[in-house]
Amino acid sequence: MKNSISQIKKALIEKKMSVGELYDEYLAKAKSGNNNSFNLVIDRENNISSINDSQNRYDNGNPLPLDGIPLGIKDLFCTKGIRTTASSKILSNFIPNYESFVTQQLLNDGSIFIGKNNCDEFAMGSSNETSYFGPVINPWKNKNSQKDNLVPGGSSGGSAAAVAEGSCVASMGTDTGGSIRQPASLCGIVGLKPTFGSCSRWGIVAFASSLDQAGPLTNCVEDAAYVLNSINKHDFNDSTSSNHQREDYLVDINNSFEKKIKIGIPSDYLEDVSDDILNQIDNTKKALSKHGIEFVDVKFKTTEYALSTYYILAPAEASSNLARYDGIRYGVREDGESLDDIYLNSRTKGFGDEVTRRILIGAYVLSAGYYDAYYRQAQKVRRLIKNDFQRILNEVDFILTPTTPNEAFKIGDKLDPISMYKNDIYTVPTSLAGLPGISIPSGLSKNGLPLGVQFIGNYFEEKSLLQLAALAEKELSFNE
Amino acid sequence: MSNNWEMVIGLEVHAQLKTSSKLFSSSPNQFGSEPNENVNFIDSGMPGMLPVMNFGCIEMAIKTGYALNFKINKHSVFERKNYFYPDLPQGYQISQFEFPILSEGYINIESGDNQKKIRIERAHLEQDAGKSIHDIDPKYSFIDLNRVGTPLLEIVSYPDLSSADEVINYISSLRQLLMYIDVCDGNMQEGSLRADVNLSVRKKGQELGTRCEIKNLNSFKFIKQAIEYEFQRQINIIDSGGEIEQNTMLFDTSTGETRAMRSKEFSHDYRYFPDPDLLPVNLSQEQIDKIKPLVGELPQDKLNKYLDNYSLDKDIAKIIIAEKQNANLFEKMISESTVKPKLIAAWLVGDIFAFIKENNLEVDSLNDKTKDITDLLRLISDDVISNKAGKEILPKVLNGEGKPSELVKELGLEQVSDSGELEKIIDEALVGEEENILKFQGGSDRVLGYFVGKCLKATKGKGNPKLINKILLERLKK
Amino acid sequence: MSDIDIKRISYLAKLKLPSEKEEFYSISLKDIIKWVDNLKKVDTSKTEPLHNVTEKTVSIRNDEVSKSNSVDDVLSNAPERAQNFFKVPKVVE
Repeated sequence: MKNSISQIKKALIEKKMSVGELYDEYLAKAKSGNNNSFNLVIDRENNISSINDSQNRYDNGNPLPLDGIPLGIKDLFCTKGIRTTASSKILSNFIPNYESFVTQQLLNDGSIFIGKNNCDEFAMGSSNETSYFGPVINPWKNKNSQKDNLVPGGSSGGSAAAVAEGSCVASMGTDTGGSIRQPASLCGIVGLKPTFGSCSRWGIVAFASSLDQAGPLTNCVEDAAYVLNSINKHDFNDSTSSNHQREDYLVDINNSFEKKIKIGIPSDYLEDVSDDILNQIDNTKKALSKHGIEFVDVKFKTTEYALSTYYILAPAEASSNLARYDGIRYGVREDGESLDDIYLNSRTKGFGDEVTRRILIGAYVLSAGYYDAYYRQAQKVRRLIKNDFQRILNEVDFILTPTTPNEAFKIGDKLDPISMYKNDIYTVPTSLAGLPGISIPSGLSKNGLPLGVQFIGNYFEEKSLLQLAALAEKELSFNE
Repeated sequence: MSNNWEMVIGLEVHAQLKTSSKLFSSSPNQFGSEPNENVNFIDSGMPGMLPVMNFGCIEMAIKTGYALNFKINKHSVFERKNYFYPDLPQGYQISQFEFPILSEGYINIESGDNQKKIRIERAHLEQDAGKSIHDIDPKYSFIDLNRVGTPLLEIVSYPDLSSADEVINYISSLRQLLMYIDVCDGNMQEGSLRADVNLSVRKKGQELGTRCEIKNLNSFKFIKQAIEYEFQRQINIIDSGGEIEQNTMLFDTSTGETRAMRSKEFSHDYRYFPDPDLLPVNLSQEQIDKIKPLVGELPQDKLNKYLDNYSLDKDIAKIIIAEKQNANLFEKMISESTVKPKLIAAWLVGDIFAFIKENNLEVDSLNDKTKDITDLLRLISDDVISNKAGKEILPKVLNGEGKPSELVKELGLEQVSDSGELEKIIDEALVGEEENILKFQGGSDRVLGYFVGKCLKATKGKGNPKLINKILLERLKK
Repeated sequence: MSDIDIKRISYLAKLKLPSEKEEFYSISLKDIIKWVDNLKKVDTSKTEPLHNVTEKTVSIRNDEVSKSNSVDDVLSNAPERAQNFFKVPKVVE
């Protein structure tokens, strides 16, 4: 079992190690790692003042909530003075002069960034194979074919692998259609996507603005609460940021529920799934039933439309969000005789295949003659999906689903985009509804690979969601 | 011949709103700064930057709504208009499309001797783009993003206009109103007010023809030239058996001609969709009502007031209301003195405006001289000085060379109104004029003028003409 | 399903696809569009589009100026710069 944030803080408070030693330990792993989980690692000397400041606070007995904790940051968060690439060629030389809201909160709380995590290019992918810096390798191996390199899931694949391989204590990811939960599941760690509007999108390279949400990838549920406490704040500069009162997610996290809890399991999610996946649901159900939690069958009416809706709306927004990458004001400019050539060359050579594909889909579904049939229709269906969730969350407190339809697969195995997109089947509906979802490890597959289950809660009810996840975690924890 | 042809014109007028900050960023909304001085990370389209709505722009749009008789929509939505251009950093312009903030307005303009109602389809808020500078280097363009994100209100008329003069009257009226309600500085040269002209031609009474859009005109002169050229161009094409292609045209200010923009491989498709970074604008009736008092008096209100309360001549009143600063100056003078408004108005549109024009001044620059001006006018209406002396002193007063009463003394322009003194002068003037006196008494009024002139001359022009007149009459009737 | 004009779409997206890629994306897009075509059978005649799950009103700020960066901050990543301008090959209109 890896050390949790509270265990590490305890060790730092008790002077069993220094902040510098802690940093060096994780840095060494990050540098020696073979999983390509970082696009950039920050040497100790470039973090020296943060390390010293943090140590001083421990020495003075007033450490901050995340003081000295080495974090990995998905390379989608703009970090001031630190190269931020979105794992794309077109941004491969970009150094922001500003710090994203979320990472600023983490810095304010004393954490130290160990590097920028590899991810799918512009967060578009479900296997971390679309990165300009090459694929990330899952630290886990199939026990029946040890030599195969497996995908970590995506798009926050580097963030998930880094936590799983132990090169950072926790990491930040972003989730648009499952990009935190899905890699967390495939790498055997915890991944939380908060309610849309919880954590500011300011300074995060945008993929699909109405869906993008930042969240933590951690070794345990309690760590997720630590990070969420730091990043879940209203930000005036993000018009979609909610200004509701935030809670302390650590309080009560290990307590049992006072009221009777009812969890819905959507039977339509479990048609045609493998035994491996069914076992995860069964294990979880058994474990939580011991605590007096009731399980009921629920049925969605919109499940079969979720992926289609998502793969219209997300590319539509992306096609517009990625219009700013043109080689004029920042990023990599490709030569061209005329201005138009610069545009065309910079964009065509700057984006990889999957990003290009999604830009094209997006431009198509928004174009004259297709807008109503695709984009507007998808927005309407999105409302039906949201209503569907609200209907079910009126009947039950939480929803339990698998996180992924399968275990980690071999790098290069899924070449067809649609079969890749189908990886998101359990995570996409939650994203469309804007609801919070958390994936926790629930067991191992027959091949010895980690799998996870997802709990979905109501809007802004991360506190009880974490409480439930913590309860399940105690029962389900497995050793590598 | 173009006699049987008429033009049908609709206008898109872009008015830059004079807010302090930009539509979606806190950068200064300011003309004439150093290159890229007023640019932040939002304006330059940096990754991850998000727009935040400036309520000042909504306020100004609502004021415009009241002034132009619009329906003010409680619900409006910002959408993205997607296209690529080097001075458009985001790769899209945030604008309003399906749900604009204002719809169905109108204004009345003058057309010949009549009033004509011009219907306005909509007005919506949007971001301005930056500027590319092409004339520094033969091979390169230089991009200045200062203007990026400046709030624009695009006011889209129906095709209700049918001549260049009407178009100019329409734009002048819009400009006047926008300046009155203090939402736009109206400076066309600096691009604060620009127009796109949609023009088609048809034989009188027939169906509408295909229209061409002439982009980005920013002076009345160019608008008139462009319309006249384009009108003739379209007629010539049809007359020679051709067809009008729907095109976007540029007006070449050096040749006075319009030409089609380089035609693209494919037609435009802006792929509008609601900006997911922004939520809809939903205004309450209270929010809208609160802004109404900020609209203030509009030109038509002032015109009525000037005619009814101050008995001004219509022509003079119109000159004064033409610009808000004129009216402000006029009303300031009225409030500060008891001089008759009519006298103030006559001097304002006469000598005072002439002085302003001659010296290339802003009307506002006289705001601290109003007391001196009315003091001067008071001296005239009290017969302390003559009208002529007033005209002589006015420029000195406006130049700040002294107070009117001091200047009168200094220059010795005070009228002689001492009747004893005048009687003496008159008596002397009548010596040897027996023949003329008899003529007067015989009924020739013309002789009176002769005597007044002679007496005034004897006072070196300083004699009070009214008093001279009075004394003369007494003497002559004896 | 309608045909996909890949040339027109890549024109709109400001991309210049080599001809073999045109073929590749054309097929790929067709497959995906066919796959999402199932949405057409959903009855949405009484449903309003959902732009954003947060169906609130846009947050607003007062009309106040604040400057938090220098001109250099904006230009420091520019591929080509001339004094305080971004520099590009001449724009022909």
